[in-house]
Amino acid sequence: MKDNTSRVRNIGISAHIDSGKTTLTERILFYTKRIHAIHDVKGKDGVGATMDSMELEKERGITIASAATFCEWLDHEINIIDTPGHVDFTIEVERSLRVLDGAVLVLCSVGGVQSQSITVDQQMKRYKVPCLAFINKCDRSGANPDRVIKQLKEKLGHNAVSLQLPIGLEADFSGVIDLLSMKAVYFDGKNGEIIRTEDIPESLKDEAARKREELIDTASIFSDELTEAILEEKEISESLIIAALRNGTLSRKITPVLLGSAYKNKGVQLLLDAVTRLLPCPSDIENEALDMDNEETPVILTADPKQPLVALAFKLEEGQYGQLTYIRVYQGTLAKGDTIINVRTGRKVKVGRVVRMHANQMEEIESIPGGYIGALFGIDCASGDTFVSQGISYTMTSMYVPKPVISLAIAPKDSKSETNISKALNRFTKEDPTFKTYVSEETGDTIISGMGELHLEVYIERMRREYNAEVSAGKPKVAYRETITRKAEFNYTHKKQTGGAGQYGRIAGYLEPAEEDFIFDNQVRGGSIPTQYIPACEKGFRNCLAKGPKMEFPVTGIKVVINDGASHAVDSSEMAFQAAARGAFLEGYAKAKPTIHEPIMKVVVETPTEFQGSVMGSLNQRRGIIFGTQDEGPMCVIEAQIPLAEMFGYSTVLRSLTQGKAQFTMEFATYKQIPQSVAEELEKKYSEEKKNSQKR
Amino acid sequence: MLEKGFILSHPLGRLIENESGEEIMPQGGFGAILARAGVGKTAILIQIAIHGLLSGKNVLHISLNDPVKKVGLWYKEVYRNIAFQNKIADQEQIFDSMLPHRFIMTFEVEGFSVPKLEERLTDLMEQNIFRPQLILIDGLPFDEPQKASLSDLKSFAKKHSLNIWFTVRIHRDELPVTDVIPAMLNDVEDLFETAISIQPEGKEIYLKVLKGGKSDSGASGLSLDPTTMLINQNGWIKPA
Repeated sequence: MKDNTSRVRNIGISAHIDSGKTTLTERILFYTKRIHAIHDVKGKDGVGATMDSMELEKERGITIASAATFCEWLDHEINIIDTPGHVDFTIEVERSLRVLDGAVLVLCSVGGVQSQSITVDQQMKRYKVPCLAFINKCDRSGANPDRVIKQLKEKLGHNAVSLQLPIGLEADFSGVIDLLSMKAVYFDGKNGEIIRTEDIPESLKDEAARKREELIDTASIFSDELTEAILEEKEISESLIIAALRNGTLSRKITPVLLGSAYKNKGVQLLLDAVTRLLPCPSDIENEALDMDNEETPVILTADPKQPLVALAFKLEEGQYGQLTYIRVYQGTLAKGDTIINVRTGRKVKVGRVVRMHANQMEEIESIPGGYIGALFGIDCASGDTFVSQGISYTMTSMYVPKPVISLAIAPKDSKSETNISKALNRFTKEDPTFKTYVSEETGDTIISGMGELHLEVYIERMRREYNAEVSAGKPKVAYRETITRKAEFNYTHKKQTGGAGQYGRIAGYLEPAEEDFIFDNQVRGGSIPTQYIPACEKGFRNCLAKGPKMEFPVTGIKVVINDGASHAVDSSEMAFQAAARGAFLEGYAKAKPTIHEPIMKVVVETPTEFQGSVMGSLNQRRGIIFGTQDEGPMCVIEAQIPLAEMFGYSTVLRSLTQGKAQFTMEFATYKQIPQSVAEELEKKYSEEKKNSQKR
Repeated sequence: MLEKGFILSHPLGRLIENESGEEIMPQGGFGAILARAGVGKTAILIQIAIHGLLSGKNVLHISLNDPVKKVGLWYKEVYRNIAFQNKIADQEQIFDSMLPHRFIMTFEVEGFSVPKLEERLTDLMEQNIFRPQLILIDGLPFDEPQKASLSDLKSFAKKHSLNIWFTVRIHRDELPVTDVIPAMLNDVEDLFETAISIQPEGKEIYLKVLKGGKSDSGASGLSLDPTTMLINQNGWIKPA
């Protein structure tokens, strides 16, 4: 490992599905000599790309779990996280971006900026990750890098500037003109490994000069030296432009764009050059932790290996040899044999084997210095945990974790599967914070919940493949919620004197709608409810939230204010006030006009324009609000908000409507009140279910 | 519909409605908002749209400049400012209730044509997805010949009894804008019933009716607040 972190790059590769990011990673590993042969995703040789380590990924041709790997280029060490492209797995993308210093946004030169690229870009913005764009598939029919650059500017608001000019496009794509060195670059040899540099072809000279001018003009904003050189009409060196571009890239004010075709082995080496020259090293990025001993004051971390350790476990994987924990060291050094502390649990942990990963192969190392990404064996922790040296108590800011919106019941098909399912669920919930599991109290079913149909389907499939557990799954259920719509008062007395110790407590106050999930406000004056019983009151109200009185959905968005009450010297107890709170809640809730809220998804469909009408019809039938349509040449993007309950099986419908030519992404947008007619239907179903379960 | 008092008192009424609150423009009418770049054409267009939405109309917004998301943000921002200035209660709820009545379509300028628009609209109307009563077209280049396509659009608007508002970008060489319709519209002027120009004068931005509109509203002193791009409060007419 390098001693100097200025030669380290921690990067992610993010993109829309099928933009070719796994192929690109594969080529990067080949050119950096980490692998010695190229295997394509969905390749005929059946080996699959090296980064797609899971069997399922190989079969579906998609990347699910991020695999971390490293490689070396131009004396720089590059740690790469290959991230999944489907929106259902965005927690993986988010986690990767959290630990990365820079990213490569891969765009398809035909498809351009697609819906998932927009999601990924928003995530990059959230974590302020500087990025480069790589316009891939320039060899494809319909390739138009200029259009993609325009979309980068218009749709994503990037100040995109091309560092290259393509030499030919589509089937004629033969190389690129490097606008920094003003040379034509070709990629020869069986796998494009031989780089041939020549003079720019005569026909492209003028355009190249014009584009270089544009590039220098854009870069000059970020360097006084460059501006001076332009004004004084001095010769402008490559290094001067690079320094200016780097400044702009690090502050996210410029997005350098590179071109190529990973599949045809063109342009990848120049992308690697750009990664080392333009993306930040760990010390360029300011990372913050929160000091738990000091009221969570933010602390700036330095990548100094001599400082106390601060490291973040960002991904867990169950490997052949036990749990593998991917970890990013932000400060200090994490070495074999060290004793470190898990800040969340407060437990001391001894570091066993330390490795760095190359997809599913590994290399033993002695330590992981600050700024690096590596992996540990045999550490019991959850993803998102912070590890520190003894004596400090810092935690890395928690990651944004969306709540699950869909759930379904699963059951083992045989007794052997039962144990395996619980093993699998234990691992999946540790690995993925958006995947939750619990046992239903009424039915005794095991329920799994997550971010979408595909999300849950993939886990069920993984149980079968990786754990040999045959699972039967029920129908997906939407995570409805209950809430109130108006203020309502309560004044409830809980009194029980039927022999033995009596119970007495009176609580008065009101319920009202609130922005937060739950607020408890104690305005009792003069001790009408003794102080020691106030926590019991709060607990009583809180306990009512898990199962709402209307249809047993969780209650959210409610404020409880208590302002009066009464107690009895002998008969009042914590239990009595908890019971009184329950009664008060039910009394107030019934008067507060309760309603049901349902998750609404933001759905983005990309379809050829000829199917636009029928796609819109299909969205409209699903109680959706179509916000708008965006015509982009042969394709059209339709944006809508649709209740999740209406989206089950939509992928099949869309496929048959559009001859499989359209695709859609879906992500949680908000919770909204359900229409009266749907509420009535739900109520009917609920009462039927209740009747049935009582019969049983 | 929701805030009748607010709609009645909205200063736009002074430009586009008569005393009884009916639109001055006949069905199938064209209106134009003229200004040079960056003066506030889109902001005025969106105020016309919000005014329409609050009056219970279905509004189709066609943008040839911005993606759907950006247009959506424009609406949020303009509405938020209106709601703030007018202390509208339940502003979120009112905004949400407007959304089903608004449809945004964006096209690339070069990909936009009237037959294409008609095809899209027919799709929407036939399937009962959306039936616009007011259309706004932002970004149509009037420096290119548009007579034929605008005439087609006019027939379409008449057939479906709807009004269409356009933004017209005036070029610097057309400046200074006087109180007459600029020469670039000569060719199509007869198709427009109303034309309003946005004219910056010093630190103020004024709205001037160049054609159509109420007779008393000419250079009536309606102005835009340069920070919010909303029509200024002092230009408001209070409901009777």
